[in-house]
Amino acid sequence: MAEERGGLQREGGQDDAGPLREALPELARCFPDGRGEAAAAACRRMTAQGLGAAAVAYARTAPACVRMVGAGAALALAASVEALGRTAGPPAALALAQAAAKAARRLGTAEAFAAWLGVVEELAAAAPESVSALLGRIEGVLVDLDVPRFEGWVLAGLRMAGGDPARRRAYFALEDPEALRWLERAAADLGFSAVERRLKAYLLALWRLRAPIRPVGAAGSDGPPRRVSFASGIIRVPESFRGYEGPVAMALFRASLAHVAAHFRFTRRRFAVGRLKPLQVALVSLVEDARVEQLAMAEFPGLRRLWLPFHVAEPGDAPIAPSLMARLSRALVDPAYQDDDAWVRKGRQLFFDTRDRWDDPAISRHIGGLLGNDLGQMRVQFNARTYVVEPVYRDDNAGLWDFGDRAPSPGASDTLVESVRIDRIDDSPAPDRRRPDPQPQDADDGAPHRAAEDTQDAPGVPVARYPEWDHLIAREREDWTTVVDYPAEPGDPRKVDRVLEERPDLAYRIRALVRSAKVSRPVRLRRQSEGDRLDLNACVGAAVTRRLGQSPDPRVYETSVRRDRDLSVLVLLDVSESTNDKVLGGITSVLGLERDATALLAHGMAELGDPFAIHAFCSNGREEVRYLRVKDFGRPYDAAARARLAGLRGGLSTRIGAALRHAGAALAPQLTHRRLLLCITDGEPSDIDVFDRRYLVEDARHTVMALSRQGIDTFCVGLDTAGEAYLTRIFGRRNVLQVDRLDRLPETLPSLYFRLTA
Amino acid sequence: MPLSGYLIGEEPYYRPTGNEIALFEAAYADRMPMMLKGPTGCGKTRFVEHMAWRLGKPLITVACHEDMTASDLVGRFLLDADGTVWHDGPLTLAVRHGAICYLDEIVEARQDTTVVIHPLTDERRVLPLEKKNELVRAHPDFQLVISYNPGYQSVLKDLKESTKQRFGAVDFGYPAPEVEAEIVAHEAAVPRDVATLLVRIAERSRNLKGHGLDEGVSTRMLIYAARLVHRGIALESACQVALVLPITDDPDIRDALSAAISACAA
Repeated sequence: MAEERGGLQREGGQDDAGPLREALPELARCFPDGRGEAAAAACRRMTAQGLGAAAVAYARTAPACVRMVGAGAALALAASVEALGRTAGPPAALALAQAAAKAARRLGTAEAFAAWLGVVEELAAAAPESVSALLGRIEGVLVDLDVPRFEGWVLAGLRMAGGDPARRRAYFALEDPEALRWLERAAADLGFSAVERRLKAYLLALWRLRAPIRPVGAAGSDGPPRRVSFASGIIRVPESFRGYEGPVAMALFRASLAHVAAHFRFTRRRFAVGRLKPLQVALVSLVEDARVEQLAMAEFPGLRRLWLPFHVAEPGDAPIAPSLMARLSRALVDPAYQDDDAWVRKGRQLFFDTRDRWDDPAISRHIGGLLGNDLGQMRVQFNARTYVVEPVYRDDNAGLWDFGDRAPSPGASDTLVESVRIDRIDDSPAPDRRRPDPQPQDADDGAPHRAAEDTQDAPGVPVARYPEWDHLIAREREDWTTVVDYPAEPGDPRKVDRVLEERPDLAYRIRALVRSAKVSRPVRLRRQSEGDRLDLNACVGAAVTRRLGQSPDPRVYETSVRRDRDLSVLVLLDVSESTNDKVLGGITSVLGLERDATALLAHGMAELGDPFAIHAFCSNGREEVRYLRVKDFGRPYDAAARARLAGLRGGLSTRIGAALRHAGAALAPQLTHRRLLLCITDGEPSDIDVFDRRYLVEDARHTVMALSRQGIDTFCVGLDTAGEAYLTRIFGRRNVLQVDRLDRLPETLPSLYFRLTA
Repeated sequence: MPLSGYLIGEEPYYRPTGNEIALFEAAYADRMPMMLKGPTGCGKTRFVEHMAWRLGKPLITVACHEDMTASDLVGRFLLDADGTVWHDGPLTLAVRHGAICYLDEIVEARQDTTVVIHPLTDERRVLPLEKKNELVRAHPDFQLVISYNPGYQSVLKDLKESTKQRFGAVDFGYPAPEVEAEIVAHEAAVPRDVATLLVRIAERSRNLKGHGLDEGVSTRMLIYAARLVHRGIALESACQVALVLPITDDPDIRDALSAAISACAA
């Protein structure tokens, strides 16, 4: 093929003039309407720019491209090769010329090819070192992706690497497992992540099973087909099963998880491998699979309809081990299945003869051992290395066996988040009780209450993952950020108390303001002397009294008012590095101003018994959005909480979207009429792994809109007048207040509460 | 007898799950006010009806709601052509003529409304009609019963402590699976195996309580589903109509429930 001959040319040295001269006539011929001349001119230009090898490769590949995607696209390719030569160097240009025909074959149309060239040029500009590596593997990547998905995957890589060329190269060379996982995810028509919640609910409903489930990426496009796996209580599910789409993919996920759940329920202990041969291990597993399925189907007969369609082995299949085993699998669960093979019939006979003892896992071991011996004597070849469990919904059996001291499956570090997630489900926080609990919750007041905070030098504990919105692809990228709970170090509570002592006037005014704010469902007041409507009962009463000869009560109106504050407030403080700066034209630091303002507000709310929480955040890349809990809902605002407020220090960056999502999750269970997320920040959102200035702003804006759909009002108090533009972009013009001096706080607070009630 | 319309003629079907009938009879013998606790659709109302029938007393039921005022319970003056006429409310009727007064879902009523029952629920057993300047002494047969669903409990909707402490309580839950199947089979006239299957389905949904559902499928919903089956509707569609669609709007949970139903069905 043309492009392959081009590949040989790569080592051809400086002098490409000869090969090029040979290729040019063919190049000119293959273009219609005399546009061959333009292509030849492009080749000469390339040679002049030192892209001789690329020119030769182009001249050889162009005829194939013309055939597949048309002359226009082939000419556009020449321009792209030149562009890559400029931005990423001659090797990249050569790689593009060589990869073009493969891409053209995959993409098929001129439009898709042109769009693909555009993405490649962008990538070359953003990550010149990585483009050759990607182009070398382009065929495998484009197997599963169309151009928009390809673009999404490329952008994910650029975001993920966060400006680190080594990580970018690993990603685009498909050496980073994340790259494969994202590839899988981009390719999946129905990815596991999209249906994770409903599948978890399914397992919970059927089996009361709440095991952590972790999606895992592809083993590579040419690896063996993947299966569900479980080990040490964690279920690993492929992000997608290749070749299964739409409703079938959904049924397959469901069948897989139901099968694993049957193991959880009925395979109580793992089998010891001992001296068993691989074939016997495989057969014991096979019988065990059938055994747990039979027991599960006895309990839930409908599971048969879920599992049987995946059993596609037929009697006529070749008598080799994998096919015989697939047939046996089918024979053991499908009563209608007929098979003449003696071995399959024997297996079925043995299995159904022990029908009464199916609740004993030892029979699997027994029958599997017998069948293994038979198969061995039949001299049927079995290759443990290439063996894949059939049918597709069954797990890889790793969880059934005790391999002694062998290390558990990879990715153990990922499990932390999952297990914490499970904990959170188990003891979801109690709803705030409107008034803080009068008795102290812990005897050791001052000791932080979260287990994770108990150890002094505990690093953060990952507690949740959130998606992030990428405005370039207008989609959310799942599980992109990790929120890590960090203990809030206590400081000197007097630092917080001082502002109350120094500014009693402010403290008083703010308290009065909070008290006068009425944020609640309107309450109907009957028997009013003035009001919007007649109170019918009062009118009747008045008429009755008049007839009775007495003087009627003149209060015959009714009206609606908001009477109390049925409002939860979560104050989210930005404690990034920039908060150490001085306030514009002032002497206090931004953090100091944040602290004082929060102290005043918290003092007012605590005295009035309003439910509120104070949290703070900063970030260190997408994997570490640090989250500090100064005071939680339902906890007292005591000396310990004030000490934590005083102890906040500025550092790191501002990934505001993830923090807003996490704060929203803390606020969502509050049962009050309105829920207010009050974000106090100073600077533009930024993080070390983000270079696109709009990216975090757009993500935060997306988050704010999502929160408002959940009924959570988000307001921002900006402590830096320079931030007006992007803060209004994030929160909306009406929802941003600028405060540059503490004295302005009382002026601005009423407008905040007013907006809540308006 | 002015309350003959409130007498229950035929025995309402009730399948006891414990000793609640004996408990209630003992409480009635002393006219002790009773509180029936339990999730919606588990048989509280049916139990009261059954007890009223068993004791041969009229039963006056009031469904409480947020806008209910004290005069909705005790009565009010109304106008007629000649002047005014007092009209007893349901509570006063029961007090005057000796009925069991059943206040259903009492937490729905505002707390200040419910305090009118206080003088009836202690030794005094009187109902003051302030507007009419009358003190109604309770008929010897009068008993007050309230129902209360702790599931909905929110901060705003809870009984006052002073109200709670005037009642004896019987706690209702969903009956044991065999008993629940018996109830469903009886109420909807379906074969026992259909009822058993429906109860298994209900258990699946109750596993999701707190994880997507606020409350699992109730016995009442099961009876509705079984009645549809009795009318010839296929089981899975009957479950969709009577169980899945009413109980949640969350597509993920609906999907999980439907799949669980399909797994239970043969």
